[in-house]
Amino acid sequence: MKTIDLTQGGAGREVRVSRLECAPGTCQRLREMGFCENALVKKIRGGADLVCWVCGTRVALSSRLARQILVETVDGNS
Amino acid sequence: MSQEQPRRWVAVVGNPNAGKSTLFNALTGLRQRVANYPGVTVEKRTGTAFTLHGEAVELIDLPGLYSLTPRSPDEEIARKVLRGESPGIPKPDAILCVVDASNLERNLFLVTQVLELGLPVLVALNMVDVAESRGIRLKPEELSQTMGVKFIPTVAHRGKGLVELRAALGQKISDPGQRRWVMPPQLATAVSQIAASWRDAIPAELGAEGRALELLAGSNEGPEGARKLATAWRQRFREQAYDWSAAVVHARYAYLREMLGRAGIGHGHVKMTWTDRIDALVLNPVAGWGVLGGILLLLFTSIFSIAAYPMEWIDAGFAAAGQVVQDRMPAGLFRDLLVDGVLAGVGGVVIFLPQILILFFFLGLLEDSGYLARAAFLLDRVMHRVGLSGKSFIPLLSSYACAIPGIMATRTVEDPKDRLTTILVAPLMSCSARIPVYTTLIAAAVPAALMPAWGKAGAMLGLYTLGTATAFVLAWLFRKKMLGGGSPPLILELPPYRRPSFRTVILRMWERAVIFLRRAGTVILALSILLWFLCNFPHAAEDPSERLAQSFAGKIGHVLEPVIRPLGFDWRIGVGLVASLAAREVFVSTMSIVYHVGGEEEGLIHAMRAATWPDGSMIYTPLTCVALLVFYVYALQCLSTVAVVRRETGSWKWPAFMMLYMAGLAYTGAWLVQTVGRALGA
Repeated sequence: MKTIDLTQGGAGREVRVSRLECAPGTCQRLREMGFCENALVKKIRGGADLVCWVCGTRVALSSRLARQILVETVDGNS
Repeated sequence: MSQEQPRRWVAVVGNPNAGKSTLFNALTGLRQRVANYPGVTVEKRTGTAFTLHGEAVELIDLPGLYSLTPRSPDEEIARKVLRGESPGIPKPDAILCVVDASNLERNLFLVTQVLELGLPVLVALNMVDVAESRGIRLKPEELSQTMGVKFIPTVAHRGKGLVELRAALGQKISDPGQRRWVMPPQLATAVSQIAASWRDAIPAELGAEGRALELLAGSNEGPEGARKLATAWRQRFREQAYDWSAAVVHARYAYLREMLGRAGIGHGHVKMTWTDRIDALVLNPVAGWGVLGGILLLLFTSIFSIAAYPMEWIDAGFAAAGQVVQDRMPAGLFRDLLVDGVLAGVGGVVIFLPQILILFFFLGLLEDSGYLARAAFLLDRVMHRVGLSGKSFIPLLSSYACAIPGIMATRTVEDPKDRLTTILVAPLMSCSARIPVYTTLIAAAVPAALMPAWGKAGAMLGLYTLGTATAFVLAWLFRKKMLGGGSPPLILELPPYRRPSFRTVILRMWERAVIFLRRAGTVILALSILLWFLCNFPHAAEDPSERLAQSFAGKIGHVLEPVIRPLGFDWRIGVGLVASLAAREVFVSTMSIVYHVGGEEEGLIHAMRAATWPDGSMIYTPLTCVALLVFYVYALQCLSTVAVVRRETGSWKWPAFMMLYMAGLAYTGAWLVQTVGRALGA
């Protein structure tokens, strides 16, 4: 499976979080909001700033942060 | 004589957007009180709810939290209240957790932490209607059995489930018992050792484990032995490159996923909803700005046009009250104090109440509908360029009405440096108190006959733009060059769009009105009396303008004149500047006293245009009026703002810095206008 960052790939695709590469405090908050390693994330809106569907909520992320979230494409989405 | 039983305290906690405040409002109605936590700046909202048997229970509404690991002043105070460590607030007897039923996994994460506080817990399974519409099958009984605490389904904005909730509040609330999630073995050893050293103080196993996890996270509160043990374990985990905090989050979520899966409670269907369709428009890089611009235009039009009517009524009311006092009381100092000091001073501030209420009405609607989070998201990229995050947008927007609610709104900004920068530049956004000053000076600069309506509007817009542009430049300077570091990346939950609850919006407006009027009746009243004294004593002459010239304020004006002369200002303007130190709008009424023209605007403008220097040249040339306008765009002529900044930053250092930099900016700006203008032959 290919590892990409969350900004890559278009809207509507489902990905699985593989690694977080941000500051410890930010990583902790991301995990608490559902962006845990192995969590499934659906990109609702792509572009520079993106909106994801995670744990039953829409979460907006700046592209700066999204680049620090490494994900794997889920089968059928690649 | 029967001895009254002490009331039970119940803390209300939950994720942001879980409907916590709506439920709190539904349970307490108007029986609410807003104050600050002692020693800190976060607002404390408490209220009385009644159980089905009529027992009064005190509820305390805590700020929205994602976890008990605090990241903002709001979250820190919530944790302290729950721990019973907030001075002046009793430790809660129980906790009411409000969870969004349509988003159980994420909301129950916080519940797993709350259970470790070792207190009885009740869970309100809120917004069950939204969950059901998404196809989520809820099983409150099963959830209650699995998690060991009672779950009650509610739809707070429709009042559903409130009877059951009131009944449950009146009964014994169950204790969670033991931990349900499985701690990784490596961590379990550390936690059990730390918890064992604390067991004497905290007999409940779950409570001791929660404390042990907090100590591992770096908390300094606890017995020395436990603290030392936690430090040693932290060190060991670091050497082993073991991310224990990530492991805890994973373990909690793993338990929740497994538990919800076993109960057959899923996420529901992820399909395109009308929220996504609206988002496609409002988050669009082009159309989104149009929508935001339209909303802001509507907001400002309402603040400046609709508010004009109630403002006129308030003005007329105070004028009538002044007339009554004038007619009924014998002439004398006390009557002057009441009319010119108390009524004029307090009335001059209370007149802005409609604008503040309209601002809070709109902010309430935008927040309750879910739009405000989108606006912050849209603006994040712009704000990021000046070193701030999108979360600073709301405080800056609020500052157009009044810097005080704007500065208070910075509490939601997580990063302390972002928050401080936002506080420091917020007073540069032209507030409603500057409007009377701007209007008077624009009219004095150019005769009404020579200036069409669009010209006045353009001049006003120019002044607003000057303040806003300077605020952004200084935010960049403060954040990037003075405070250092970059703003944290934005993570923002976008709640689904909802019909706003008018009850919640109206309650919030009511709360603001009470706070504002209380301040007008205390701080502003005291300052008005002081200013009246300075403008009237020593009581050396009967003629009001002569009396003012010889008063303490007049003497200060004369002392100031050499300093303000390079700006083109004379001693009388100096009196206006001193008198309006407490509140900018006082400048206009002071000038009316200085020129002895009564309260009418026309008379004042005529007198200002006729005022001359001893050599017969005009004082209020267009250039001097522009210099004075620039001075008022920049100067921090508002003692209430100084007091709020002192309270919010916890020291005198930042309000002192703010006063100095704004005074420097005002003086330099006015001097530049005068100097450059003269050089260009204006």
